[in-house]
Amino acid sequence: MKPKVGFYELTGCAGDMLNMLNCEDQLLSLFDVVEVKSFAMASSAHDEDTELDIAFVEGSVSTEENLHLLKRVREKSKILVAVGHCAIFGGVQISENNWEERLKKVYGDVNFIHTRPIPHEPLGMFVRVDAVIPGCPINKHQFLSAAGKLLLGTMPELYSFAVCAECKWKENECLLMKGKICLGPITRGGCGAICPTHNIPCIGCFGPVEEENVSSEYKLLLEKGYSPEELRNRMKIFGGKVREVK
Amino acid sequence: MKINIMPLARVEGEGGIYVEMEDERVKEVRMDIYEGPRLIETVVLGKRPDDVISIVTRICSICSTSHRLASVRGFERAGGVEVPEKIRLLRKLVHYGEYIESHSLHYYLLALPDFFGYPDAISMAEKYGDLVLGGLELKKFGNFIMETINGKAIHGENIRIGYMGRIPEKDALEHIKSRALALIPVIEDGIMAFPAMEIPDYMEEETNFICLVPEDDGFGFIGNTIITSKGERFDVEEYKKVTNERVVPHSFAKRSSYAGSPFTVGALARVNILGERLPGKAGDFFRRLWSERWKRNPLFNNLAQAIEILFCLEQIPPLVDRILSLPDPELKEPEVKEGEGTGAVEAPRGTLYHHYKVENGRTVECDIITPTAQNLDDMEKYLRRAAENLVKNPPEDFELRLELIPRAYDPCISCSVHMLRVKVKK
Repeated sequence: MKPKVGFYELTGCAGDMLNMLNCEDQLLSLFDVVEVKSFAMASSAHDEDTELDIAFVEGSVSTEENLHLLKRVREKSKILVAVGHCAIFGGVQISENNWEERLKKVYGDVNFIHTRPIPHEPLGMFVRVDAVIPGCPINKHQFLSAAGKLLLGTMPELYSFAVCAECKWKENECLLMKGKICLGPITRGGCGAICPTHNIPCIGCFGPVEEENVSSEYKLLLEKGYSPEELRNRMKIFGGKVREVK
Repeated sequence: MKINIMPLARVEGEGGIYVEMEDERVKEVRMDIYEGPRLIETVVLGKRPDDVISIVTRICSICSTSHRLASVRGFERAGGVEVPEKIRLLRKLVHYGEYIESHSLHYYLLALPDFFGYPDAISMAEKYGDLVLGGLELKKFGNFIMETINGKAIHGENIRIGYMGRIPEKDALEHIKSRALALIPVIEDGIMAFPAMEIPDYMEEETNFICLVPEDDGFGFIGNTIITSKGERFDVEEYKKVTNERVVPHSFAKRSSYAGSPFTVGALARVNILGERLPGKAGDFFRRLWSERWKRNPLFNNLAQAIEILFCLEQIPPLVDRILSLPDPELKEPEVKEGEGTGAVEAPRGTLYHHYKVENGRTVECDIITPTAQNLDDMEKYLRRAAENLVKNPPEDFELRLELIPRAYDPCISCSVHMLRVKVKK
C-alpha cells in the first residue's frame, strides 16, 4: 500500500511548497509512489478524514484556525515534518516584538469574522515535531532526500555544520574577513552557500546552527565598526526566538 | 442556498468563496481571505535598506523576484541611485524568468485541469502527458533563469540596490538563449490547447483595467507610469490615486477600487491595454485570438498568460545578445541615506508597488500594494454576476463554475495580506 501523505500550509509565503513543485524532473514519479490526501496548492482533491503516514507542514501558526488545523494534522499523522523557516523558527514575521500594537497599526479596530490572528509561533510551540527541513525557502534537493528517507522508513538527518563549511568547499573568499556582516558562522548549512558564492553576505535564512557562537561573531563585527543596532537587526531577521541577541 | 468553498484549491495561500442565495436572489458574495497576517511592513521599520530587501522578498514565493525588483527600485528612486545598463537588462531577463515560471505553473498545472475535467495536473498527465510535461519544462526553464541571475529560484539575493553581487557567466546566458528558442514551439502548442475549448460567459461584465506603461517602448513589465483602460495616466508616485485601500472584516487582505469601481490588473489587463504592442509570434497570436469578450471575461486571463510566456521566450535571445555585448560594470554598493520613492513593476499577477522613505540610512516608512489585493473586488463582482446568472437554474457543477473565476486571476493570497502604509511614530 502506498504511504498516505498530506501537505499543509499555515501562514507563510508557500515557498517551501513551491520548491517541492519545483522538483520538475521528479514530481510525477514522486507523486506516483505516494497517495496524496491533501495538497490544496496543487490539487482540489482532498480527503481530510484518513490517517496520514507523513504530514508536511509549512508556515507559522498565526491564526486560531492555523492552530486548529495543526492540532488536527498532528492527531492523525504518524510523522509530522516542519518544513521551512516559518514552521521551524517562526519566519521573518517573528523577528519583532509588540505584535498587538503592530496588528492594530495595520488593521485598526476591525473585528475579523473568520478567525482571530494570534502572535506568530513555530509549530514546535504547540505540537511534537518529528523532523524538520530547514531553509527560507527549503533546498529542493534536501526535500527530495528527506522525502526519500521518510518513505523508506528512516528519519532525515540535518547538516550539523554551518554555512561556512559549504562556503569553504566552494573556495570562496571569506566575506566576514572582508568586513561584511556575513552570518555564515552562525547559520545552519544546507543551502550550498549560494549567497557568499555570489559575493553576498549570508543573511541566515536556514536559521541558527546548533551551538552557534553568536557573541563571538558579534564581537568580531563590533571591532569592524558596526553598531550594535545594525548587528542586532541583521541577526534577528532569521534568528527566531532561539537566538538571544543582547 | 449557501455555497462555502474553503479552502479554495490550486491557488497560492488560504482563501475561500462564500455565496448566499435566497429565492433565486443573491444575498451575499465574498472572497474570504483566511491567510494569517504577518505584518511585514512593520517588521522592516528601523532597518537598513539592504536588510529590508531581503525581508520583503519573503512576502511571496511565486513573485519573490517581482518583490525584489520593486523594492530595489523603490530604494533606488528614494536615494537617486543610477543603475548600470547591463544590470538593468539582467533584471529584465530575470523578470522574464519569473513570468515563464509563474505563468506556466498557473496555466498548465493549476488552470488547465479545470478545463479538461481533472482535480489536478498529476491526474491530467495520464491522458495529456505532453501538455503537462511541456508545462513542467517551461517552469523549470523559468527557474533556471532565476537561479542563474538571482542565485535562487525563490528569494534569491543577487539583485541588490544599484548593483548585483555577481554577473552571471557567459555560458549560462548562452544556454538560456538556446533553451528559449527551443521552448517556443512548446508554448505555441500550449496556446493552441486553449482556444479549442468553449469559454463560458455566465459571468461576463465590463470592467476597468490598469497596468504600467513599459519603460522601453513596446510591451513589457517595468515602468514608472500607470495607465488605465480609459486612457488616463499617472506617475507611479501617485499610485494611491488608483489603489485607494480599505479594510473589510472578511479578509486579512485590504481592498482597492479606482474611482469607486473595482478593476483588474495582471496579464489580461496588460494584453487588453497594450496588446497592440506585442511583437513577433506573440503579436500574431494576439491578433488571431483576441476579441471584445476579453474585456468582459476574466477566464481569458489564462490565455493572456500563455501569450505572455511566448512574448518572454521570444524576447530572451536578443536580450541575451545585448547583455553579452556590454562590458561588466563595477560592482559596488551605493548607500541610500535619505529620500522617499516608489518602485513599481508588473508582477505576473499585476501591478506591484513598493514605497519607502529612508532617514539616516534607516527605513522609516513602507507601503506595499500587491496585485491580488487590487483584484479581490473584481473577483467578488464576477462571482456575484455568475451567481445571479446561475441561481435560476443551478447547475450540478455550481461550485466549480464559481471557483473558475478567482482561479483565473491566479490569486497570490500570501501577497495580498501584506499591504498598508506604516509610519514610524517619533
